[in-house]
Amino acid sequence: MNMDWQTLKRAQIDWRMVLMSTVLVVIAVVFNVLSEGIFLSPENLYNIAQQTAVVGILATVMVLIIVARHIDLSVGSVMGFVGVLIAFLIYTANWSWQAACLMGLAAAIAVSMYQGALTAFVGVPSFVVTLGGLMSFRGAAYLVADGKTQPLADPFFLKLGGGYNGGIGTTASWILAALLCCGLLLAMLNKRRAKKIYGVPTNPAWVDLVLVLIPVAIVLAFVATMNAYHIPNKDAPQGVPIPVLIWGAVALVISFLVHRTRFGRYIFAIGGNPDAAALVGIPVRRVTMLLFLLLAVLITIAAIVAISRLNAGTNSLGNNLELLVIAATVIGGTALAGGSGTIIGSVLGALIMQCIDSGMLLLDVSIGTRYIIIGQVLIAAVVFDVAYRKWTGDAL
Amino acid sequence: MNATDNTPHSKPAIDTSRCLVELRNIRKAFGGVLAVDEVSLNLYPGEVVAVLGHNGAGKSTLMKMLAGAYPIDSGEVLLSGEKVQIRSPSDAQNLGIESIYQTLALADNLDAVANLFLGRELLTRWRTLDDHRMDADARKVFQRLNKNFTNIRIPVRRLSGGQRQVVAISRAIYFNARILIMDEPTAALGPEETAMVGNLIQQLKAEGVGIFLISHDMHDVFALSDRLAVMKNGKRIGTYRTQDVTEDEVLGMIIAGKAPAGKTQTERPAR
Repeated sequence: MNMDWQTLKRAQIDWRMVLMSTVLVVIAVVFNVLSEGIFLSPENLYNIAQQTAVVGILATVMVLIIVARHIDLSVGSVMGFVGVLIAFLIYTANWSWQAACLMGLAAAIAVSMYQGALTAFVGVPSFVVTLGGLMSFRGAAYLVADGKTQPLADPFFLKLGGGYNGGIGTTASWILAALLCCGLLLAMLNKRRAKKIYGVPTNPAWVDLVLVLIPVAIVLAFVATMNAYHIPNKDAPQGVPIPVLIWGAVALVISFLVHRTRFGRYIFAIGGNPDAAALVGIPVRRVTMLLFLLLAVLITIAAIVAISRLNAGTNSLGNNLELLVIAATVIGGTALAGGSGTIIGSVLGALIMQCIDSGMLLLDVSIGTRYIIIGQVLIAAVVFDVAYRKWTGDAL
Repeated sequence: MNATDNTPHSKPAIDTSRCLVELRNIRKAFGGVLAVDEVSLNLYPGEVVAVLGHNGAGKSTLMKMLAGAYPIDSGEVLLSGEKVQIRSPSDAQNLGIESIYQTLALADNLDAVANLFLGRELLTRWRTLDDHRMDADARKVFQRLNKNFTNIRIPVRRLSGGQRQVVAISRAIYFNARILIMDEPTAALGPEETAMVGNLIQQLKAEGVGIFLISHDMHDVFALSDRLAVMKNGKRIGTYRTQDVTEDEVLGMIIAGKAPAGKTQTERPAR
């Protein structure tokens, strides 16, 4: 028993993630009981998954922004601006959706470089820069189309937001799941091989196997659920919704950046000790600008998903979104003081928030009560975070 | 570009008669305040030169210019007789100058391995971090300094002062520093760990590394240094062989800024 405990300790299991996953499961089960089985129905889970995508996509990059000791209060407004711009170019200016999206990306990059340069080179705190941006770009979103709603009709484009035709179907979903599972397994084997070559101590095989089988089981269960959702008047079940696919891809890419590249490591170093980062020769300003560039790309992706979900671009697109994104990030264990946070945490944080919101909606809880509860959940998450850090000796 | 970028540079044969570092008439002003005023200082291979002075005397500023953390306003830096431009910490590192700072320039949230390689990570041929190679190499360096140091994969904020110092010093050792700047290396350490740093300095000296030692601790200075330079108000008061002066005379220089009578200054070690 003692041996097993030592093994577990060495396996470097992230107990915070284990706990958060447990919280998510408990929330789901409780709502399922209260809603008499509706909450865990494939239809409801399908909806929750695709509703969370926009917040989830932005939360992945918000983790990095906050880790680097910055904040972006303007994500909602900038996303609104970019979204309306894309919709305006497609609907009013008759651009192809591809060209419009590229233009949207260019606009997002321009905005991000402006805000990033003020932060990185002029030294204005990002809180102030993006607080200004929060208002200015909401105004810009209004000006683009003079406040008029820009409806969208391109059938392919609308799939990007999920909805009626927004699933990839059962076959594609299973193929994707199989590929992902193989990828996880290969990654684990590769890691064991590399550790052996360099003589670094490895986990016992069974520990590594369990650590791979858990995500594999989650992937398979998720795909099975999405494949079980069959809209009554359609021929085939939905499969994985495209916005969730996009979210998953974004989370994978950003996790890769964090764990496997200098860029990711430098963001954490800057967040942990900015002076040390500069003293060891990390190009702090360049890394900050790159981070804002990444933010621009993800804001554009989120904007595309958001307008195709709405079937329109409106000037209120993304209103208050920054609060949901930051809340998801914080519930996911990212410290506002900087230096620590995980991408998978932001995924769980976004899901926990959306589950609580959707669950209360199912139970007909009034909007006032919902706001109160979600606000307190955020605080509870931070209280837990502080207690957890004290317990592990990682006090900030 | 490939992973070989980061392999430690090979050391030339030790020639202790040739000056390793020559700082010539270095000046630095912050706003209107002259922090370093026309200071010149030499360092020879295998030599420890202690740099002394009150807080604000300019010693840390002088060393930070050599380390590339501050740009030099005017003056020259020569390494092994060649004029060099040090514009950034990376420039300094590429020239074989490593620094260990008083505040321990470590990213507290990263583990010991990440800190050892911070800014100079080993990469695979895909330009991704080569974690396993870094892990294996790091274990070797840490082993050399402290056999009991094995928890190298937890954030360094959870390590003891001595372990953190091991991480900081490892940066210099792994990348084969030719010139080492140590800013109060024993300030946060217990007696055993202080002894470890002392041994390490002897070892590095034998390998021909030149060391600038910034310290307030007179015991350290007299135990470890070959020469000492005293600064006050940005000016160099004097440079002496450590064996030629007494502790009182050194304190007199630090406090009153006056050179002791009848002692000859020297720009070279006693060899």
